[in-house]
Amino acid sequence: MKNKRKQKYSEVDASLAIYLFQKKSKKTMVNFFSLVLILGLCFTIVYPILSLVPVIFSSIEDLGNPNVIWIPEEFSTVSFKAAVRLVMPQGIMTMVWSVLYAVGIMILQVFFSAMVGYSLARVKFWGRGIVFGMVILVFLIPRQSLLLAQYIDFVHFNPLGIMKLFTAAGEVNLINNPVVLVMLAIFGFGVNQSLFIFLFSQFFKNIPKELEEASLIDGCGFYRTYFKIMLPNAVPIISTVGILSFVWNYGDTYYTNYFNPDGSYLSTLLSSTFVTANKEYILRALTTWYEVPVATDLAFDAVKQAAVLIFLVPLLIVYLIGQRKLVENMENSGLVG
Amino acid sequence: MEKSRKKLSFRTMWKIHGIIFVSPFLIGFIAFFLVPLANTVFYSLNTVGVGDQGGMTFEWNGIQNYLDLFRTEVTTSNTTMVRLFTEENTTMLISLPLIVVFSLFMALLANRKFKGRAVVRLLFFLPIILGIDVVINMLTITVGASGGLDTGSNLLAGSYVTIFLVRTLNVPMRVLYPIMTYVENIFDLISQAGVQTLVYLTALQSISPSLYEVAKMEGATAYETFWKVTIPSIMNITFFVVIYTIVDLFLKSSIATEAYSFAFKQGKIGTGSALSVVYMLNVILVLAIAALLLRKVVKKNEK
Repeated sequence: MKNKRKQKYSEVDASLAIYLFQKKSKKTMVNFFSLVLILGLCFTIVYPILSLVPVIFSSIEDLGNPNVIWIPEEFSTVSFKAAVRLVMPQGIMTMVWSVLYAVGIMILQVFFSAMVGYSLARVKFWGRGIVFGMVILVFLIPRQSLLLAQYIDFVHFNPLGIMKLFTAAGEVNLINNPVVLVMLAIFGFGVNQSLFIFLFSQFFKNIPKELEEASLIDGCGFYRTYFKIMLPNAVPIISTVGILSFVWNYGDTYYTNYFNPDGSYLSTLLSSTFVTANKEYILRALTTWYEVPVATDLAFDAVKQAAVLIFLVPLLIVYLIGQRKLVENMENSGLVG
Repeated sequence: MEKSRKKLSFRTMWKIHGIIFVSPFLIGFIAFFLVPLANTVFYSLNTVGVGDQGGMTFEWNGIQNYLDLFRTEVTTSNTTMVRLFTEENTTMLISLPLIVVFSLFMALLANRKFKGRAVVRLLFFLPIILGIDVVINMLTITVGASGGLDTGSNLLAGSYVTIFLVRTLNVPMRVLYPIMTYVENIFDLISQAGVQTLVYLTALQSISPSLYEVAKMEGATAYETFWKVTIPSIMNITFFVVIYTIVDLFLKSSIATEAYSFAFKQGKIGTGSALSVVYMLNVILVLAIAALLLRKVVKKNEK
C-alpha cells in the first residue's frame, strides 16, 4: 500500500518535473527572443547617431576612404569647427539664445495651458463643453491649413482696429517680430498647445475634490486655491508638458521659419544652411577656411551631421534628466484609465 | 435667504473666475483660429490682388480657384494636385497601422521585467527627440547609393543572414526583397512612434495586476491573456493614439509648403487658400472615418 503510494508520487513528480521543465524552457525561449528583439530595436535607434561619430571626427581627406569604418585614421575636428562657423553666427550664444527662447516659450505654454486646463476640468462655467470642443478642434485641424490667413493677418496686424490709435498706417507688420511667437504661446496657439491643454485638463480631473474643499474652508479664494494647492500638486504633468514643450519648441522650424524667418534659431539656421543648393558654397568655404585640398559631397554630409550633433546636445541633456520621470508622470496624467 | 444668495453669488464668482482662466484661449481661438479660418474660406472664393495703396483687393469668382487648383495648377515638383493628395493619403493609410502596431509592440517590450530595463527605456523614447523634423532631415545623407538615411539596416542587404537565406535555404530574392525594404525603413517607423510608445507604455502599466492574476488562475494562456485582458484594456488609449498619429502625419505632409508657395512665390493667394481648405476637409474626412471605425471596435471590446 505504502509502496504503491510512493510509486504514484514519483510518477507525479516525474510529470511535474517535465511540466516545470517545459514551462521553464518556454520561458527562457520567450525571454531570449524578446531580448534579441529589444537589442535589435535599441541598435536601430542608436545606430544613426553612432554611425555619425567616425564621419564627423575623421579628417576631410579621410572621408570615403574604404579602410576607415569605425575608427578614423586621423582624428580631426574640422567638421565640427566648420559646422559651428556655419550655423552659429554668434558662436555659443546662438545656442544659448535658442535654448532660452525654447525655455521662455515653454514657461508661457505651461503657465497658460495649465490655467485653461484647470478651468476646463474643475470649474463648471457656462459653455464649458463648447470650449472643450474648441480645444479638440484646434488639435485636430492641422495648423498649416491656417498658415496663409494667419500670415496675412500678421502682415496687416490690426486687432479690432485699435492699431489706428498708435500708428499712422493703421496696421503693424508683425512678421519677423518675435512678439508673434510670444503671443501665440500666451493665447494657447503655440506648438501643439491644444494637446497640452487637453493633458492638463485630464490631469486636473483626477485630483480629489476634497483638496479644493479643504482649501476653501481654510479661506482661500479661487486664485490662491489654484496657485497654492492645485499647481504644486500638478508637478508631474507640469514636468511632462514642460519636457515635451521644450523639445518641440527647440526643434520647431514651422513657426520660427514662417513668422520670424530672420531670427537666429538654431533649428531654422540648421535647416536653411544645409539645403542642397548651398552645397557648393559650403564646400568652397571648407576648402578656403581650413586649407583642405579637396572637399567632396562626403565633406558636406560630415559638416551637416556635425551640426546635427551640436543641435542635439541641449535636447539630450534635457532628455537624460527628464526621461526617468516621463513614464511615471504620464501614468499620473489621467490620460489613461 | 440671505445665506443662500451669498452662496449663489459665490458660485457665480467661481464660474467667472473660471472664464477668466480660459479667456486667453478664447481670445486666441477667435484671433488665431476663427478669423483665419473665415479668411481662408473667403480668400479661396476670390481673386486676391494687391491694391494701389498696398492693401488687398478682392474680386469674387466663386469656385474658380478650386477648379483651377485641380485642373491647371501643378505642385512645385510638377505633379497634379490630385496626385499629391492621393500620394499623401496613401502614405498615411500605410503608415498609420504600422506606427500604431509598432508603438504598441515597443511598449509591450519595454514593459517586460528584465535587467537593464532603465537603459532600454532610455533608448526606446529617444525617438521623441530624434523624430523632430529637423533632425530627421539633417541625418539624411545626400550622397551614396541609397541617398537616404543611413540606418544600419542596409547592413542587412549584404549580411550573412541574407546570404545564408538565399544560398542555403534557397529563399528567392522576390520574397526577400519586400521584407528587406520594410526592415530598411524601420528607423522611419521608430522615429514617428516616440510619443505613441510612451502613451502605450503608461497605459500598459496602469492595467491592474489583479486582472492578470485572475487570468492566470483561470488557466488562460499568454496568448489568451493578451487578447482578452491587455487589448481590451488599452482600447480607449488606442483611440487617442490613432487620432494623434493621424494628426501628426498630416502635420508633416508637404501640402502646407505648397500652399505657401502658391500664395507668396506665385502670388496666387486665392489658389493657396483653396488648397488649404481642401486640405482641411481631407483631414477632417480621414479623422471622421477613423473615429467611426474605431468607435465600433472600442464598443465591441467593452462588452
